[in-house]
Amino acid sequence: MTVQDAHAPDERREREETELPMGVGRVSRGWIAFVGLAFLGVVVGIIGFLTEQGQGLVGTGMRDLGTMGGATWGLYITLVIYFVGVSFAGIMIAALIRLFNLEHLKGIARMAEVMTVVALLLGALAIIVDLGKPVRGVVNLFRYARPQSPFFGTFSLVITGYLFSSLVYMYVTARRDAAVLAARPSKLQGFFRAWSAGYEDTADQRARDRRTTFWLALAILPVLVVATSSLGLVFGLQVGRPGWFGTLQAPAFVVLAGVSGIGHIIVLAAIVRHALHQEDRIGVDAFAWLGRFLMTLLFVYCYFVAVEIFTTIYQPAVAEQRIGDALLTGRYAWLFWGSIVTLVVPALLLAWMAIKKQWRIGWLVAIGVIVNLGALAKRYLIVVPSQTHGQLLPYGEVGTYSPTWVEYAVMIGLFSLGALLVAIFMKIFPIIELADADTDPDVDDGGAERPEAHEMEKEVVS
Amino acid sequence: MTKYGMVVDLDRCQGCRACVEACKIENNTPSAVFWMHVFRLEDGEYPNTRLSFLPRPCQHCNNAPCVKVCPVGARYGREDGLVLTDYDRCIGCRYCEVACPYGVNYFNWRSPDDAFADYQMSFDDPDVVAVTDGAVPPYRNPVHDRKHGDERRRTSGSSHDKGVMEKCTFCVHRVEQGLLPACVDTCPVGALRFGDTDDDETPISQFLRTRETFQLLEELGTDPSVVYVGGTAPTSHAREIERPMTEVTR
Repeated sequence: MTVQDAHAPDERREREETELPMGVGRVSRGWIAFVGLAFLGVVVGIIGFLTEQGQGLVGTGMRDLGTMGGATWGLYITLVIYFVGVSFAGIMIAALIRLFNLEHLKGIARMAEVMTVVALLLGALAIIVDLGKPVRGVVNLFRYARPQSPFFGTFSLVITGYLFSSLVYMYVTARRDAAVLAARPSKLQGFFRAWSAGYEDTADQRARDRRTTFWLALAILPVLVVATSSLGLVFGLQVGRPGWFGTLQAPAFVVLAGVSGIGHIIVLAAIVRHALHQEDRIGVDAFAWLGRFLMTLLFVYCYFVAVEIFTTIYQPAVAEQRIGDALLTGRYAWLFWGSIVTLVVPALLLAWMAIKKQWRIGWLVAIGVIVNLGALAKRYLIVVPSQTHGQLLPYGEVGTYSPTWVEYAVMIGLFSLGALLVAIFMKIFPIIELADADTDPDVDDGGAERPEAHEMEKEVVS
Repeated sequence: MTKYGMVVDLDRCQGCRACVEACKIENNTPSAVFWMHVFRLEDGEYPNTRLSFLPRPCQHCNNAPCVKVCPVGARYGREDGLVLTDYDRCIGCRYCEVACPYGVNYFNWRSPDDAFADYQMSFDDPDVVAVTDGAVPPYRNPVHDRKHGDERRRTSGSSHDKGVMEKCTFCVHRVEQGLLPACVDTCPVGALRFGDTDDDETPISQFLRTRETFQLLEELGTDPSVVYVGGTAPTSHAREIERPMTEVTR
């Protein structure tokens, strides 16, 4: 029984007429504390970035390859591919929900879209902080764009095409909610009216919007596979860098992107469900679906890793062996095996839950966090070891790289900015799509199939 | 069509690193930056060891991975075989550096004119001015400030702008005046040769016809303009026995 149900029906209706749904427009003490903390984190990041800009990238732990014995790409590039990976799963799930009409997942569609946009912004910022000339970079990446460079996919395709289409997608799918809220008097009424832009929620418009989002979702899916693959190709095409060169990079990037993104959605959905008391909109079956999806991706990724390990140890070239040794038994062994544990154990836990058909949300949240730590570690292990251990000319023994406080500060800043943006969005727009029943009880959105689906699932809340 | 190339005669190289020094002076490169580097290598196990030297300028590849990956076209290959960096266009993403299998790229991690005098000598430094009385030292070459080639881009050494990538330019500023690159000009034993490899009559082409050559990491298909004669390519077990300075900061 939820909190709202406890109120008398009259009282509830009255409250709904005066207040906006999903906590929009009202802030709690906890929210203020959270946002304050996130803001502090952003300030830390800005201090790090300004320090770096003042003295040059010498403030970071990165140095030249070869005679200088460093790694020229480090934590920043790790974060770029991590954030773009996170964004991948968000819009993918949102698109799948529309394409396959997954009604029981509608509650998480909006937050998945928001997560995509925010993660892409963070990815773009991570690219910019990594550049030696950030301002010139923003101009030249478009002015002199070269499609021959794999970075074209990362910079131009991701930041313009992908971010833009995600924004349009989010905007279009949210217009109906904006129109509903614009009809209610509130401080944010003007904002909602601007968002709805003449939308009146007629049957005609609704059908048109459904068509638009369907085709948009269909168009976005290949774009995001190309964009995320191009990140893998940034590494996979480099024949001169053992450990990177390989066909598996692009698909492995896409799969690990799905892992980290779904992990994030699970955590975000659990927080929203708990904070806004939306147990009925985000049901356990939604978590079960996410859990099964995550499990599948995890098993596929573990399979990729196993194949990769086997290829590395069977009959490796000398440079490949050096990297393999560093990963499996050498300097990066603790991180490598640690990341394997953070991917294999959650996969097994999820499989156990799937067999038992008991989806514990607390466990899922923990898994969501753990697989993200694992994904971050794996990204780091793709970027760094091939630079420190993968020299083809006899440059000394090995290189070293460890991030400095500047890089950690920027990392904290980026994560905090993401949390801040999501938290602010939650207060200016419903993070969960308004149910059809809230606005128009006559329209039945294929709901007849839902009870059957529920019976088939027989999910148990624990 | 002129096609510049360099020949490194490993039978002649004695590992004196005079070329490294000449390059640093000519291009005024910052500390720990070696556009020209000479490996001093040891191969085999004691007592059956072998010492060898391997000069390593930028290979100026005809199929250069750094040119391919540059997202803005700042790194580009010219028709005369030189692979150069446009310092006014480079955004400092360092993709060329990870793409290059030879490790010849050096990023400007800090500004050359900041307080760290040992990073690079600044001619405006009061301490330096006190000695020079404002006179520009002879190795401060104003030619570096010019734009080079038909493409009119700023590509030769010495600016070291913070946040852009640099590497060996084959001394484009000297070559365009008909001079040899500084390393070639300096080598006391004639181990380095430079010239037009497209013209059969040039000394370098005539020399190449008489000798067996190899390129570094030929198997990668980068097709370097730098070719080696004499000696052997370093094996994958060769060890670097003496490394130059590696620290950018103090």
